[in-house]
Amino acid sequence: MRWRPGPIFIILALAALLPLLDVVLPPKMQLCEAVRGVFLYAILALGLNVVTGYAGLLNLGIAAFMAIGAYAFGILTCEIYPFQLGFWPALALTIPIGAFAGFILGAPTLGLRGDYLAIVTLGFGEIVQDVLKNLDVVTKGTQGINPLPAPTFGGSEWTAEDEYKWYYLFFALLVVTVFAVRNLERSRLGRAWFSIREDEIASRSMGIRVERTKLIAFATAAAIAAFAGGLSASVLSSTGEPSNYDFQISILALCIVIVGGIGSIAGVLVGALVMVGLNSIVLVKATAWMAANGIGSQGNVLLSPNNWKFLIFGLALILAVRLKPNGLIPPRIERAKQ
Amino acid sequence: MSVLRADGVTVKFGGLVAVQDVHFTVKQGEIYAVIGPNGAGKTTLFNAVTGIYAPTDGHVEFNGREIVEPLTGWVLFKFVCAFFAVGIFTLVGLNVETIWTAVIIDNYKFDQPFPWSVAATSWYSTIWSLPLVKNLLPLLIGGGIGVGAAAVSWSRGRRAPDHIARSGVARTFQNIRLFNELSLIQNVLVGMDYRMKTGFMSALFRLPRFYRERREFHESAKKLLDFVGLGDRAEQAAGSLPYGFRRRLEIARALGGKPTIILLDEPAAGMNPSEVVGLMALIRRVREAGTTVVLIEHHMRLVMGVSDRILVLQYGKQIAEGIPDEIRVNPKIIEAYLGSEDHG
Repeated sequence: MRWRPGPIFIILALAALLPLLDVVLPPKMQLCEAVRGVFLYAILALGLNVVTGYAGLLNLGIAAFMAIGAYAFGILTCEIYPFQLGFWPALALTIPIGAFAGFILGAPTLGLRGDYLAIVTLGFGEIVQDVLKNLDVVTKGTQGINPLPAPTFGGSEWTAEDEYKWYYLFFALLVVTVFAVRNLERSRLGRAWFSIREDEIASRSMGIRVERTKLIAFATAAAIAAFAGGLSASVLSSTGEPSNYDFQISILALCIVIVGGIGSIAGVLVGALVMVGLNSIVLVKATAWMAANGIGSQGNVLLSPNNWKFLIFGLALILAVRLKPNGLIPPRIERAKQ
Repeated sequence: MSVLRADGVTVKFGGLVAVQDVHFTVKQGEIYAVIGPNGAGKTTLFNAVTGIYAPTDGHVEFNGREIVEPLTGWVLFKFVCAFFAVGIFTLVGLNVETIWTAVIIDNYKFDQPFPWSVAATSWYSTIWSLPLVKNLLPLLIGGGIGVGAAAVSWSRGRRAPDHIARSGVARTFQNIRLFNELSLIQNVLVGMDYRMKTGFMSALFRLPRFYRERREFHESAKKLLDFVGLGDRAEQAAGSLPYGFRRRLEIARALGGKPTIILLDEPAAGMNPSEVVGLMALIRRVREAGTTVVLIEHHMRLVMGVSDRILVLQYGKQIAEGIPDEIRVNPKIIEAYLGSEDHG
């Protein structure tokens, strides 16, 4: 059988070549910096995809784990605390810390079904923000923790100007996440997740330990989200304030998963490109272009495409559910059936 | 030798008695049938046996002992862990600002090395210098909640379907419950899951033993699909299978765990006569392969054709048990199915 490149490979290959496009584009239209955001949200959404896409547990609080990762990264690296780890060890530590947080939330709540679990995770997302805001002895409250160190590798440092270095750092970490998630998906564990999503009673009757399997999904998702959080804190050089990790982020991640294709890695990557790309590339560039050509005005709120974000999110979600209920790139077995 | 023994099994839903005081014994290598009119409690009996419902009264024994997870030292250790985990979490959660201030902020001077050894002891003295309501009490209350929750979840899970399935009791469902989005071979592999050994890390890092195990189980899953006659459809989605084949796939999935006993809930429902003949042959082959079979069925030709012994239920009570030839002529059973002449 000849090897044919799968959709994941094609998407990642295109992403790897994107900086070449920037060479020819005019400075104002360059994409790399904005695509970094796509990569970040793709990592977050890949995490959400594990718990919501594979195991079928609706999690509306994924941003909380991102916040936990960001603050863990901040506390571990910032010079106002004694730990002062480097970028790599701190980023690596966000993974077990996130997994532990997922375990703490998951262990008592995974007996809940469907909607109830969604409400618990939603509440958790709000509580984490409030805790981070009010625990200012530890988290510096609304100031956020900063400055955070930039990554270094083999003696060279990533500075704010090194756009391509950041781009490829994000790209490499996305690739690592994609492979980790893909390896889990195509294993005994992934199969058990799917079986629980399909029919919990049947899968329990086949000897699957449902609670344990769900808990692993929860912790894995939380770990990946925390990893994304650490990364985002590093690139901003600050954890930002707790309300940066609010419900909107969770919903954006969920939109990415739904629009792209629930349970499909390639779908999540495309979904991230569509949703985040619309938001931080198309709308931003359109606003810049309109301003440059004198269309619209600062005074008119409606004429600035930046403000159309939620309108477009809503539209994209409705169109996706209406026209492509399985997502832009459905998971493999779904494709086989069509 | 008895593989499965029900001893006075009763299942009540509120005031409704679905199964009342049922006794039966299934011997090794037997094909045992449970029949009865609709609503007689056959499926409820199966659900009580496989742990989906807890019997209100009575016992179910497999190989001479009841399948409940034993209270081992490991379980007790988990309770102790739950005590300390939740207790310490509560304690730290309540006092996080105090502890953080005493351990980190008071010890850390900017640009000076952090005195790790001082910090490592100061958390301890900080906690115990607090009033008891802030340290010992939360530890005990939180720990109590932890142990309580762990004990409740453990005792609920003692007779859970997953534990019973892992002990070698497999089943199929009356209203077919396949994993429709998964392929046939994946369905069978889910049935085999508890025999697999590799875990999270070997899947994540694709260790050699992951590949070894995958190859091994894919081969035996293929063989099982061949055994039920679905080998050429291995990669198809289960949801796209014709109805008659879905029952066969359910049987293959249930056999995946190499069970000692398999419970088939109306395997012939919705099958045409020629499919029923094929199913009878399959059931016999399952028995020949060494698995004891218990089946619920309405299809009399199948029941009379394959069963060694038959149990008859009506309104949740057992009204007869015996070999097919006895059951066939038992007036009580004819009455149960067709009604007595008095009532016309």
